[in-house]
Amino acid sequence: MRLKLTAILLLLVIMPLRAYEPVEHENILKVKYGFVSQLDPYLSPLSYNGQQIGIGNEWWQSFRKDSAHWAHVGRFDINGLRSYNTAYSNMIYGLGIYAGWGAYYKWSFLDGRLAVHLGPYLEANFMAREIGSNVNKPYSFDFGIDVMAMTGISWSFYGKKTSYRLRYLLRTNLIGVDYMPDYWESYYEITESVRGDARCSGPWNHNIIRHEITLDFQFPHSTWRLGAEHIFLNYRTKEMQFDQHQINIIVGCLWKYKIRPNAKL
Amino acid sequence: MKHLIYILAVVLLVTSCKSKNEVEYSTDPVDNVEALWQIIDTKYCYVEQKGIDWNAIHDTYIAKAKTIGSDPLALFDLCAQMLDTLHDGHVNLYSSFDRSYNTAWYDSYPANFDAELQKLYLKDYRIAGGLYYCTIKNDSIGYIYYSSFSNAFSGANLYWIFTAFKNCRGIIIDVRNNGGGDLTNAYKLASPFFKENKIVGYWHHKDGPGHNDFSELEPLYSDTSLIAHKWYRPVIVLSNRRSYSATNFFINMMRYAGNHVAIVGGTSGGGGGMPMSYEMPCGWTVRFSSVRMYDADKKDIEQGIEPHVKVTMTSTTQDDIIEKAVDLINNAYK
Repeated sequence: MRLKLTAILLLLVIMPLRAYEPVEHENILKVKYGFVSQLDPYLSPLSYNGQQIGIGNEWWQSFRKDSAHWAHVGRFDINGLRSYNTAYSNMIYGLGIYAGWGAYYKWSFLDGRLAVHLGPYLEANFMAREIGSNVNKPYSFDFGIDVMAMTGISWSFYGKKTSYRLRYLLRTNLIGVDYMPDYWESYYEITESVRGDARCSGPWNHNIIRHEITLDFQFPHSTWRLGAEHIFLNYRTKEMQFDQHQINIIVGCLWKYKIRPNAKL
Repeated sequence: MKHLIYILAVVLLVTSCKSKNEVEYSTDPVDNVEALWQIIDTKYCYVEQKGIDWNAIHDTYIAKAKTIGSDPLALFDLCAQMLDTLHDGHVNLYSSFDRSYNTAWYDSYPANFDAELQKLYLKDYRIAGGLYYCTIKNDSIGYIYYSSFSNAFSGANLYWIFTAFKNCRGIIIDVRNNGGGDLTNAYKLASPFFKENKIVGYWHHKDGPGHNDFSELEPLYSDTSLIAHKWYRPVIVLSNRRSYSATNFFINMMRYAGNHVAIVGGTSGGGGGMPMSYEMPCGWTVRFSSVRMYDADKKDIEQGIEPHVKVTMTSTTQDDIIEKAVDLINNAYK
């Protein structure tokens, strides 16, 4: 019995060690600044346009050192926005939080310089909005958890004294759950007892399209990222359609290091 | 590369569609009168109850809008006139240069409040949160004046007030000329006087564009847990026509607190429709009643609440309503 236990314990110790071989972890810390255009009919029938600023972090990592194809990615973004109606008579403030994780399969071509990836991505997104000079200061929010499809293409190349990586990424929702305030309910009813429509969501009533193009380059000894992203959000009910466009410039700093991944992965 | 262009084209096509709710910015008088009429027609909760021929109003004011030119002041006045036909204190139009308001709901009623006469009673007062308080009639009665339910107060404030009134026979809560404010403050102020949670009213909201499209009635309960300190000795609530909105609902609630509470003074102002706001194409904001509130007997409280003891102020040397409240408290001990 003691021998069996020792063997099991040894196995438990040795097996993870194999999986714990260090893999390359790529982390990007970034700031975003851009323009936002939104329509929240619960607050106003007018569209509001303005600026937003945000910070975010994303990481890319293979599941295992010997896995050239399967990898995973995680993101966390937070952004604040301030927008005005065309008459400049009112403002909407917003605070958004987005977090997600996805796994993808990577196909490499041209000695690895060209890569295409595809996989599922799980995202939670939340944005609260408050309309500024409304007499009763109503506010609204939307919330969604979505299973998304994620795809991308990247091309690495060498230029003068440095190397570059150009990458285009696209994510769009497939199915999930979301929440919107009920068009007819008062802010009192919503805030007192959090009412609204929580429902199954998908492309038929809820669209999220996030796509970005980025260029990573070295300067002088660090790796930097410049890019642009466009985010489109749309929630629809029988009574109400909420739209939001964001176009952002991204500046980030990228670094790579070796970490030991979770054995279970 | 060609595929990438196709993808981008599809994305732009999908994302550039105009929303069904979106209203284009416009300063055109006809567009704005039409939009304002639509907002009230679909969202205002008393069109049917007030017996207004809202379609006739449309025709009248669209015709006027065609004649006023591009002057924003003229457009504002026209929109304000149209809203005035609702005779509702919760209906306002807000622009960067003016705010419209309606006074018809209290104009033809006795004032039943005189700030100068009140000073004969509200002397050497203290202020706890938004509540002014002192004792009157040789410290035998506590007097609280609350001028707005927008002014916050806490349980600690009420603790000190009740401590100051510990030897008093009763309390007078004066909410005359209190135009309302935050409904949660109404629940808080009523809380110490309830022995148990009770249904104090109902509400329902518009749930469609039709004049009679409303959700199911939902009960509203008093909440004894909001304030820990309790007061079950006599309480008199003073009301007048300008006790409006959240104040109106507070008066309604207090009617259900028990036999130790009475409402004295004039009929309250009403304002039983909880307001919401929306915007017109030119960016002005319109506020209007959107949620109908009822008492515990499902009777609409938009037109105000009758007091238990009706008193109209006639004296120029004393506040007749406060004096009546003092009598009622003293009589409760006989």
